[in-house]
Amino acid sequence: MSAPTGDVPHYCRRGADQQARRVPPDALALTDLTVRHGDVLAVDSLDLHIARGETVALLGPNGAGKSTTVSAVLGLLHPDAGTVRVLGRAPSDAVRAGCVGAMLQHGGLPGEARVGEVLHLVRRSYGRAGLAGAWPLDDLVATSGIGGLLGRDVDALSGGQRQRVLLALALAGQPPLLLLDEPTSAMDVEGRRAFWTTMRDLAARGTTVVFATHHLEEADAVADRVVVMAGGRVVADGPSAAVRSAVAGRTVRFSAPDGGTFDRVPGVTGATRLGGTVALATTDVEATLRALLTDGVALTDLEVRGASLEDAVLSLTTPGVAR
Amino acid sequence: MSPLFVFQLRRVARNRQFLFFTVLLPALFTVFFTQVFAGTPGGVSPEQAAATMVAMMSYGAIGAALGATVRLSFDRASGWLRQLRVTPVPQTSVVAVDVAVGMLLTLPPLVVVALTGRLVNGVRLAPGEWAGLVGVLWLGSAVFVALGLLLGWALEEKAAGGAIGIVGTVLAALGGLWVPVELFPSGLRAVAHGLPSYWYAETGRAAAGGTLPPVPAVAALVGFAAAFGVLAVLVARRRPLAAVAG
Repeated sequence: MSAPTGDVPHYCRRGADQQARRVPPDALALTDLTVRHGDVLAVDSLDLHIARGETVALLGPNGAGKSTTVSAVLGLLHPDAGTVRVLGRAPSDAVRAGCVGAMLQHGGLPGEARVGEVLHLVRRSYGRAGLAGAWPLDDLVATSGIGGLLGRDVDALSGGQRQRVLLALALAGQPPLLLLDEPTSAMDVEGRRAFWTTMRDLAARGTTVVFATHHLEEADAVADRVVVMAGGRVVADGPSAAVRSAVAGRTVRFSAPDGGTFDRVPGVTGATRLGGTVALATTDVEATLRALLTDGVALTDLEVRGASLEDAVLSLTTPGVAR
Repeated sequence: MSPLFVFQLRRVARNRQFLFFTVLLPALFTVFFTQVFAGTPGGVSPEQAAATMVAMMSYGAIGAALGATVRLSFDRASGWLRQLRVTPVPQTSVVAVDVAVGMLLTLPPLVVVALTGRLVNGVRLAPGEWAGLVGVLWLGSAVFVALGLLLGWALEEKAAGGAIGIVGTVLAALGGLWVPVELFPSGLRAVAHGLPSYWYAETGRAAAGGTLPPVPAVAALVGFAAAFGVLAVLVARRRPLAAVAG
């Protein structure tokens, strides 16, 4: 089976930095990356290095700068400051050399065309002289799960099918680096599971996979490294277990429709209210509950939970919530 | 031929409405205007038949050039242009293919309407004049390819389709393609002289008469083509291809 490997193919080394030719370069090296959209600082002096073969999740709320970072890596925008090196070369060079495959959040397929024609066009573009050549069609079709769709009109595809076709386009050149911006947003549960199985296979064969997502369980299950972004900066970076443990303590949740403040309760490091539900982050569950009971608070719908990756990300990316 | 060129051509060819409006309709108009007015007192002179044919060749070519290139707006809206940007297909060839497809698609209306004029309406020109007529109108259609690309970059998907219809109608009606400019009141005639479609048809009328295109017409067309081209590049540069949110 022909498949990408962790080695950087020869065509991706040509034209790379002097240093990169001696030492195999990082898959991604962002230094002091700054991007403004008008007055908004979308990415704020971001430093991020991703080694070859890593599987990295970019996590963060909307507006955290994930898509902007992906766009900068792909050369779709020019940073206001800082440098981006993709396998040791400039983004647009890396893309043109066929070193990168990407699924964009707002990428799309052309109307009035058949799936097979689109795929053929993109495969041909990787097959030009000097490039690696396209992934064999049968294998590509099977890996991306688009069997039976090649003769289909693009306009007749379902959301999940479109995503799989876009995946096939991203994989068409057997790129050593895959960039995926919220790739599973239009997929159902089953499609999602199949998608991540494919990604894990590719990662196991050495492909560097970098994906932006809102789905924390995906980051948890697939990535060996999680980079949490907020306000255009990295607020946490490490294995998902390490990021999760950055938020010590637990959450005590109960119904309190009558109001009241709970900031002063022993052990509580932060209190948030959502409608009639109060959530208290606490370092000492026992002390907190004892104090609440002593005060005669009715603990309707009481729930005590350990921090999930979601809590970790929320606490890392929301100002005012205690760590 | 570049795979992208073949791909784009196949997409347009699949659009039957495009072929109907740019090829068949101008040919039908040619027959209609000539044969219907042939029954009126005085009939239709060979010069009038030739003029009608030239006007309809221009009309068809303008429609084809605008219709083929404004599709760029749809590819922008669907995200396909962004997707192409992250493949090894060079950006310059994407633009070159758009221009080439636009230029190529102006040929069918030019040839079909010319054949209609010759075979149905009995327009007689020397072989060199036929070649000159089609050649001049084909080269001149570059003006409308540039205009279509400008509109495709400037307008959103939903506005683009309607805008092309209106722009095409204004260019045809006020440029004297439906009713000869000689029949216009003087004020309207001044408007016609400010439109590329008038000068475009003017080069065709000269070629059909066996003369070189007049200098003012050529100058006007070169000026319009340059202006539309420069504007298209400026607008395209301002269009972000990157996602802004997230």
